[in-house]
Amino acid sequence: MKTALIQLLTAFISSWGFSMLFGLRRRFLIYAALGGVLCWGVYLGMDAWTHMEFLSCLMAAASTVVYAELLARRLKTPATLFVVPAILPLVPGGSLYYTMENIVHGQLEAARSYGQQTLIAALAIAAGISFVVALRELRARR
Amino acid sequence: MNLTRQEQSRLLDCLLEMGDLLLDCGAEIGRVEDTLSRMGHAYGAEQMNVFVIPSLISVSMSFPDTEAITETRRIHSFGNTDFYRLEKINAMSRQCSVSPIPLDELRARLDKVAHGRKPFSMVLWGSILAGGGFAVFFGGDLWDGLVAAVFAAAICLLQNRLGKTQLGVVASNLMVSLVIGLGVGLVVELIPALHMDKILIGDIMLLIPGLAMTNAIRNTLLGNTISGVVRLAESLIWAAALAGGFMVALVIVGLLP
Repeated sequence: MKTALIQLLTAFISSWGFSMLFGLRRRFLIYAALGGVLCWGVYLGMDAWTHMEFLSCLMAAASTVVYAELLARRLKTPATLFVVPAILPLVPGGSLYYTMENIVHGQLEAARSYGQQTLIAALAIAAGISFVVALRELRARR
Repeated sequence: MNLTRQEQSRLLDCLLEMGDLLLDCGAEIGRVEDTLSRMGHAYGAEQMNVFVIPSLISVSMSFPDTEAITETRRIHSFGNTDFYRLEKINAMSRQCSVSPIPLDELRARLDKVAHGRKPFSMVLWGSILAGGGFAVFFGGDLWDGLVAAVFAAAICLLQNRLGKTQLGVVASNLMVSLVIGLGVGLVVELIPALHMDKILIGDIMLLIPGLAMTNAIRNTLLGNTISGVVRLAESLIWAAALAGGFMVALVIVGLLP
């Protein structure tokens, strides 16, 4: 529980930081940071419920995009502004690092497993985003 | 709106400039194509054929009763996410779809966007917060976060320096990750209570092309196959450079007594 709270808090800080790094307007920073919290919150919830890494990542990405799209419509800006910083907590920086570390230490079996995790996370994020975008386009075409 | 032949070619110039700027801000390919088409139609074009890949923009537009005009532009900039400018250009395109901005004004506003940058202090503080935040997020303690924040500032300053030297993305990532890896390694060597992995992960998040990669896969899934594949290859090479720098640093640090 404590870990989860720390993660949610740091997800907020990190998404805020990245929005600044990307030059987001000051007024929008809070929305992007809250998006980061939402994104990680959904991931944690889904993970506790289903114990499926891929599905949790996908759902977290998808709900972040929905959140960003709704906000974008309301604030009349592109949704990318909120998707990009908010989805960052899902980016598998940890497993990417451990992949490299294990390669350096010659533990290829561990490296392979971390490498796989990295790829799966990247695919899940992309699939989650595409899923929502595809649905939106379907609605727009009708 | 009726444009003379000369005005049409000036509009085409503006559109290419706009596409160039959009790509430079890190806009997705689909967005660039979409924006340019809308802009053309807003100014009365009958048909817009816009083709964009990461290194090229080609726009062909035809107005009623005249021949089509076409122009191509080679793009050299590498998408560097900049919401500050992205938003300005987006606002311009929105305004144009309601009522087209006069060409002189459009040109002036594009020039202004081209020269305006996001403020450096914001980038610096953003890096500090993001690097420190992610170090703790991935399981580091407060001290790890602080060290990661200091090195995040170093990354930001280094990248700013290297950006001025026209070094390629691959070379500059290799250098930055090598320097940061060595620096963190030395600090951890001096203060063994710190966790090297957590600090480095926090700082890697700043350098990782995770988004470029995600965007690439997304582009491919949504039908922009060429751009998706190009971007994916780019970001994989970029990630390899990053990993190379860190791995060399890890090896050197491992050799220390």
